[in-house]
Amino acid sequence: MSRKSLDRKISRRKFLGTTAVSGATLAAMGAGLPRVSFADGHTIRIGFLAPLTGPVAAWGKPGLDGCLIWADWINAKGGVDIGGKSYNIEFIGYDNEYDAAKARTGATKLIKEDGVKFIMMLGGDTWPGVQKVAEREGMLFSTLLPSDLSPDSTTLVAPCEVHPIYNVTGVEWLAENRPELKTAVICAQDDALGKPSVATYLAAFEAAGIEMQDEPLFFDPATTDFAPVMTKLLAGNPDILCLDTCYADYVHPLCEQAFQQGYKGQIISCTADFYQKIIEKTSAEFMEGFIFQFPDFDDPALNSEGVNFVNPNEFYAEYAKRYGASEWSAVSWEYASIMDLWADAAGKAGSAEPAAVLEAMKAGGTGKHAFGTADWWGTELFGIDNALVGNWPVVAIEGGKATIKEFRSIPAWWDKHKDLMVKHMTALGQMWNQRG
Amino acid sequence: MPAAGAGGAVRRLAWRLRLVFLFAALAALPYLLSYSQQEIAVLLVINVLLVSSYRLLTLTGEWSLGHVVIMGVGAYASALLAKQLGVPVPLSTLLGGGAAAAVAAILSFPLFRMKGFYFLIGSFAAGEIIRLIWKRFTDPFGGPKGLKRIDPFPDIEAGFLSIDFYEPVNYYFLALVVVSASLFVLYRIERSRIGLTFHAIHWQDRLAESVGVDTFRYRTLAFVIASFFAGIAGGLYAHYVGAVNPTRFSVDQMVYVLVWAVVGGTATFHGPILGVVALTVVNEIVLRALGLDTVRPLIYGAILILSVLYLPNGLESLGTRLRARLQHWRGGPAATGSEPA
Repeated sequence: MSRKSLDRKISRRKFLGTTAVSGATLAAMGAGLPRVSFADGHTIRIGFLAPLTGPVAAWGKPGLDGCLIWADWINAKGGVDIGGKSYNIEFIGYDNEYDAAKARTGATKLIKEDGVKFIMMLGGDTWPGVQKVAEREGMLFSTLLPSDLSPDSTTLVAPCEVHPIYNVTGVEWLAENRPELKTAVICAQDDALGKPSVATYLAAFEAAGIEMQDEPLFFDPATTDFAPVMTKLLAGNPDILCLDTCYADYVHPLCEQAFQQGYKGQIISCTADFYQKIIEKTSAEFMEGFIFQFPDFDDPALNSEGVNFVNPNEFYAEYAKRYGASEWSAVSWEYASIMDLWADAAGKAGSAEPAAVLEAMKAGGTGKHAFGTADWWGTELFGIDNALVGNWPVVAIEGGKATIKEFRSIPAWWDKHKDLMVKHMTALGQMWNQRG
Repeated sequence: MPAAGAGGAVRRLAWRLRLVFLFAALAALPYLLSYSQQEIAVLLVINVLLVSSYRLLTLTGEWSLGHVVIMGVGAYASALLAKQLGVPVPLSTLLGGGAAAAVAAILSFPLFRMKGFYFLIGSFAAGEIIRLIWKRFTDPFGGPKGLKRIDPFPDIEAGFLSIDFYEPVNYYFLALVVVSASLFVLYRIERSRIGLTFHAIHWQDRLAESVGVDTFRYRTLAFVIASFFAGIAGGLYAHYVGAVNPTRFSVDQMVYVLVWAVVGGTATFHGPILGVVALTVVNEIVLRALGLDTVRPLIYGAILILSVLYLPNGLESLGTRLRARLQHWRGGPAATGSEPA
């Protein structure tokens, strides 16, 4: 037997041995972990149940990063005052991979083993797996997607992002400031996030007198080649290209394709996560005037009176320092803003117990939303008033930087055009009483 | 001969003892786990049936990319039957398996005109068509959001006995009974004349045809049986989680089934089971416990690459290799180390 082959055999044996020993050790460590590990008396645990890996991670992981900053700041100040006693806040994350079954497992772990008092979720496909757990355990949950709300989801609130209703503000602003734009096309991934958003944009375009050139183009979430999608969208040379609420993994290639295919018109989108990277792939000129709904928190407009988010500019600076400015996404601040609302409600209730916090949160029918005082709303659209709705910013990219153009009122738009919204939501089967 | 008879009896006894120990361990398992780990165990048991049923299909030499969609057919059918027609959940689960088998029977006509790589792509296309139908028709399939609030298995209340199937430990035992019975049937099929014919078609389909085996019918039979049990797995999933949607049955999920089968190996009945158990424990328990949530896909990928490089015949070949090593160390005659392909 040659020395070379002997070495190879020894190496392989070592590999197998090492793998077996490592596996056994890891398994032993896993099995040896405490089954229940409640926080000590001075710490309140909050669950973070969102996708931290996979294609939807961009709307989970940056939110957890933002929450860690929030917790560090609050704890440095002595914690949250509840019933005359200060409590530190600790976040426990669980990666649900945007899967309902894993979300259920995560919810039970957070409640029964980690002893959390509140769980923040992205929602969407994952909420139906958790709903039964929420009902059984009486746990307070939050979602970023109010389309999860229904009359039977009594312990679920949407206290920050009223997706996709706020998208109307971008279209309304565009119609007022660029009245020469008369035609639009829209595309979205064919899923639970894309469809209600398309209905919202269709209502907003109709309200603004902007004509749709074609039926909405729904592409499969598994799509990787966006050239034909963009070619079809641009066939009629539309004034406005709407990218709906596409995931970051789609917005980037869609923008690249629009750039490569020579589109010169207006682009509007719900999000433009990591937009600096889009600019790198296209050009600052191409992205100039791109309208979306999520500001960078170093924007001076966020220091205006009425904005409730605490120290937004400092929060952004800290986020950029820890994770890099290009990692800032739509959700970097959202979960932290929900925590502001939760801490305020827990302080008022004098308790961190979910039922007490929920009652205090909704007391008086209004709440301190990140962008100003807002109303608990939603019966007509969601069957329950568990969405906190008020003003929302319209953001444009100017000189390669996201800039807030204006805060607009969602309820004001709703009062004028709610029939259109209900019409389009119904047409796409997105009203709460049409779902599943 | 008496000697051979005695040897056979001993082997049978050993086999039965192993089974008794296995079931005792499986019965004790949930009581050694935390609540959330019990939840993982439920899904693991369901996935054992999924991957084992997949193996039956691979016996004929065909690898499908549509098996998870077929599981979805069972899940959707069972959910709709229970939710909209009020069919009792145990019956709807069985009928869900039947629906999956029926869809497989229909699909077999176009699909088994293809072989090998073409069958693989064809099964992917067929699966995508089914998923698009679920997305397109909000009524009755719920569109992209799918179905939610699916009826759970009914609680059992009989005197002192009260079983609530919301509790993972109870559902674990229910799933264990269903999956064990299913595995028994799958095992018996493989060991029967039909199973031998599946193997023959895999290795020598032309020769099998030349001696009168209708390969189309046998391939269809394997596909239909595998789909029936995948459909049962889908029903168990739907009535436990309470929600199904088209994304849950996408090709991404199918990749997991392939990885379980490849890492475990498909030459033996227990190979894919080893794969799904080992990878689920590593992915869902060990890596999470180590706080490696966000790098799990990376580690998962590394495990796949390493296993393909160093265990090309899967975890099932580990035993044979270890025995060969032991014999080598003891200075005995070198074991052939040959493993089933």
